[in-house]
Amino acid sequence: MKAFSYKLAGSTDEATGTGTQSAFIAGGTNLVDLMKIDVMDPKELVDINQLPMRGVTLDNNGLRIGALEKMAYVAEQPDVVQHFPVISQALLKSASAQLRNMASIGGNLMQRTRCGYFRDVIMPCNKRVPGSGCPAFTGENRMHAILGVGNACCATHPSDLAVALVALDASINLQGPKGTRSIKLDDFYLLPKDTPNREHAIEPGELITGVTVPHTNWYQRSAYLKIRDRESYEFALCSAAVALDMDAFMIRDARIAAGGVGTKPWKLPEVAQALIGKRVSQATFEQAAEIAAKDAHPLSQNGFKVTLLKRTLTRALVQVGGGVA
Amino acid sequence: MNMVTQSIDRFDGKLKVTGQARYSGDHSLPNLCYGYLLQSSIAKGRIQSMDVSAAQSSPGVVAIFTPFNPLKIYSPAQAGEEGMISGDVIPLLQNPTVDYFGQTIGFVVAETFEEARDAARLVKLQYQTQPAIVELQAGLGQAYAPKSVSGMGATVSVLSDGVTSIDEALRSAPVLVSATYNSPIEHHNPMEPHATTAMWNGDRLTIYDATQWVQGQQRNLAAVLGIDEANVRVLCPFVGGAFGCKGSMWMHSPLTAAAARVLNRPVKTVLTREQMYSAVGHRPSVRQTVTLGATKQGELTALKHEVYSTSSRVKFFAEAAAHRTSLALYKSPNILVTHQIVPIDFAPGTFMRAPGVAPGMFGLESAMDELAVKLGVDPVDLRLRNYATAEPVHKLPWSSKHLDECYRVGAEKFGWSRRSPEPKSTRNGDWLIGQGMATALYPAHRSHAEVKIRFQSDGNVSVSAATHDLGTGMYTVLAIVASEALGIPPERIQAVLGDSGLTVAPVAGGSQTTASVSPAVAAAADSAIKKLIATAVSGTKSPFSGMNPSDVSYANGVVQASGKSVPFEAVLAALDRSAVEGSGIASPGEEEHKYGFLSFGAQFCEVRVNEWTGEARVTRFTSVMDVGTVVSQKTARSQVIGGIVFGIGMGLLEATKVDPNSGWIANRNLAEYLVPTNADVPHIDVEFLNIPDTTFNLLGVRGIGEIGIAGVPAAIANAIFNATGIRVRDLPITPESLLVDQKGMA
Ligand SMILES: Cc1cc2nc3c(=O)[nH]c(=O)nc-3n(C[C@H](O)[C@H](O)[C@H](O)COP(=O)(O)OP(=O)(O)OC[C@H]3O[C@@H](n4cnc5c(N)ncnc54)[C@H](O)[C@@H]3O)c2cc1C
Repeated sequence: MKAFSYKLAGSTDEATGTGTQSAFIAGGTNLVDLMKIDVMDPKELVDINQLPMRGVTLDNNGLRIGALEKMAYVAEQPDVVQHFPVISQALLKSASAQLRNMASIGGNLMQRTRCGYFRDVIMPCNKRVPGSGCPAFTGENRMHAILGVGNACCATHPSDLAVALVALDASINLQGPKGTRSIKLDDFYLLPKDTPNREHAIEPGELITGVTVPHTNWYQRSAYLKIRDRESYEFALCSAAVALDMDAFMIRDARIAAGGVGTKPWKLPEVAQALIGKRVSQATFEQAAEIAAKDAHPLSQNGFKVTLLKRTLTRALVQVGGGVA
Repeated sequence: MNMVTQSIDRFDGKLKVTGQARYSGDHSLPNLCYGYLLQSSIAKGRIQSMDVSAAQSSPGVVAIFTPFNPLKIYSPAQAGEEGMISGDVIPLLQNPTVDYFGQTIGFVVAETFEEARDAARLVKLQYQTQPAIVELQAGLGQAYAPKSVSGMGATVSVLSDGVTSIDEALRSAPVLVSATYNSPIEHHNPMEPHATTAMWNGDRLTIYDATQWVQGQQRNLAAVLGIDEANVRVLCPFVGGAFGCKGSMWMHSPLTAAAARVLNRPVKTVLTREQMYSAVGHRPSVRQTVTLGATKQGELTALKHEVYSTSSRVKFFAEAAAHRTSLALYKSPNILVTHQIVPIDFAPGTFMRAPGVAPGMFGLESAMDELAVKLGVDPVDLRLRNYATAEPVHKLPWSSKHLDECYRVGAEKFGWSRRSPEPKSTRNGDWLIGQGMATALYPAHRSHAEVKIRFQSDGNVSVSAATHDLGTGMYTVLAIVASEALGIPPERIQAVLGDSGLTVAPVAGGSQTTASVSPAVAAAADSAIKKLIATAVSGTKSPFSGMNPSDVSYANGVVQASGKSVPFEAVLAALDRSAVEGSGIASPGEEEHKYGFLSFGAQFCEVRVNEWTGEARVTRFTSVMDVGTVVSQKTARSQVIGGIVFGIGMGLLEATKVDPNSGWIANRNLAEYLVPTNADVPHIDVEFLNIPDTTFNLLGVRGIGEIGIAGVPAAIANAIFNATGIRVRDLPITPESLLVDQKGMA
């Protein structure tokens, strides 16, 4: 860990006014971890925990979650549990109880990949040191992405929450030296392409103040399914966030995204499209899920994720939509 | 043994949960400084240059030792009994050769741990790298048969009269199954990292060191430091788990001691979790082929078990998967085991919980299940049809074997008779349910031990030996056994251990501690009682003064004669004596050559497997153990439960991931090296037959530290086959193996 200074930000302006060598610290569960292994080495930590970026509210404009709310707290809010079960479930299937008590929503959305090469400074990594190379392509890549893989990077995005939010068309609210803005979370995450070091459409000094999820009645018919090697305390091999708008057995609309398979939380609009106007059945779900993997580029150890992605989606769709005899 | 003392709570429990138990890294000393290992980032080659200037001037740095500025250390090979005592055979930091990824190539000492770690990162290295072979598959071409495996030849065969080769026996077998099973490198990952705190007083070294063998460590440290054994004292009253990786001496210990010597300051080194993946051993990767020939009725006619295991090129270690299983379990007229070593450019391997047995039983007991399926015979019946009533190689009788009873009781408790043998025939929604079983075995070991017992004038009794409590329950066991021998409640007995200066006791390995030490407790109690009586009759101020010792007796803490009953503390007080002490020894004897000594068990497991997504989870487990007398119910149960949890990890989760190109270890942390969480562990039902094996020792105790894991991965794999019809032969069993051929989408 490199030496750093620490500042408690008293106001949002004070926080956003700090330099490019600074990092915001919320729960610290990812940042401090990465600082201890020298992967991140900010000169200054700006503690944002006193800022007023809190609250979980639901009104006609949607569900607003303050960036500093803790994962555990958000997961248990009745409005979230009832109207957005996919969000609550994604949070509860993340990390461990201890981490969820500490970790914030903003920090969760900004957490870095778990790729082992990225997390070890003795290894090359294009994300950490642009141009240094990526040993994962020919090395340990079982946990890596099959979608959105460029030539430079195949690391997955680790957040479960982000998958649920991207599925539901959530927006991220930002505040920076130049003011406030709001963009779709799906656009906030960038594909690695040739610049895997650029992960987010965030400007220097910009803070995440919260997220907004559109209020749509049928989001209450949603679920998050997470497949992993062990039952708890592990990142996804593959996950699916699914919401269905149903009229009896007909699908009127759908929102779908997958995790553990993409270099960013992977929205699947074509899968959703393929379901619209169809009657629920296992065959319908399987056909739609087939589309999810059409652009997949499996690596040496993760070919199984192609099948797993389709199966996970189908299982999640059956869970939410029913329709299996 | 008395059931009440047997089920008492562990004595060290409160100390541990309240933070009062001081582990080897918990000692703060005046003027203490901190050591930090710098490890290589390549798998093979030479250090061309090492620039320590920036590190040297980093804040708090006291000294930096490197191959170019070494600490004086002699070769551990000179410490004798190679392999048993020392984990490393080359003294590190003596030359610039790099033989494996994560090899210690520098030792940084600073005022704080953080300063030492920071400075280590500032060392600039240039390597000349050479191609390395870092995994079993790549090294198969260089495989060779070693001189010895588990004390036997690399090939051991038993052929019945007239049979010239195992292959001939297999060729004439009416039914044949043959399959190859693979298991990866695994790491012990005890909760407590290795820690060493060393201080010198003149030429005397006192060292708090996390170890399973204080006296082995003492001997070994003396040898590599070039000092007299009598000048080394190793202390280790508490160990936070070991599983074999604290059974040998690893280089951080002598480096810490040698640095403390030249710096003339105490030094403490606590390994990081990452460092433990190359500095303190692992279980080698194994590829094994098991071929079974049988009659149509399921009687084995030939058993061939061929093993390849990886071994570091710099340190020989054989994971004796066939020798320790197939030569012991089944009655087969023809048996052949072979072992080949696959040398790799990787850190040294070592003993890990049930070495050889854990992977070997995965192969053998999976193959037996495959045979049962092929024959349409119940897996329990198949095992009973091949029940060995004598040890298969030397045909010695077993000292005590009730494995048939384990199968029977286990099947009953588990509800085995309700299992459908047809794969894929039981489901609960999307989850396929299956049941499987396997045998457990583990050799019973025993070594020489000496115990001291002291009657103290404060009314307490101490019982001591240079033994260890790895979290296994030895404090509790010693108190229980001494309590039984002396008729004094266990609360009044203080067990003292973990100090090389105490009387001799063996390494806490091979599940032998209780079997070795507790018989000596009984002998020590006899001796202490004799001393107490002799003291009572000899002193003039004693109530028993001048009596004939044979007229004086002892019972339940009280000395008695001619109507007088005086508690021992009162006798001591009258005599102004603070204590009386006796000692006793216990050693294995003639019986070693007359019997086969083995512990046995039966493992029954239920799993569910999601038929869409292939996650396998254990939902029920029953284990019935024939391990001789159970001295301490609670801690014994914990040992077996812990072994089964270890087995669930081996079966479904654990694997050290090695980058095939660089030897870099990808998951050197507990987030990515998966061990079971609570959610992965169901209720585990453990039953002990509790039949004393008095041929083995007076108390009838065998051992329980390792047998719990044996058979568990096979029981899981067999249950998964029963659930899904898919036979998985590679560990760990993860969803990718179970996605095929189920929902027809693969
Ligand atoms: C062992 C382990 C297992 C885990 N498993 C899972 C899992 O299964 N699923 C999952 O989703 N996550 C998992 N996590 C990750 C965990 O959810 C994140 O560590 C946590 O959400 C980060 O939140 P934090 O508040 O602690 O962030 P911090 O560590 O404080 O910050 C993380 C990053 O976000 C930035 N940041 C924080 N807040 C803001 C803000 N308001 N605006 C702009 N930037 C900000 C920081 O500068 C930093 O770069 C796991 C973590 C660990 C250690």
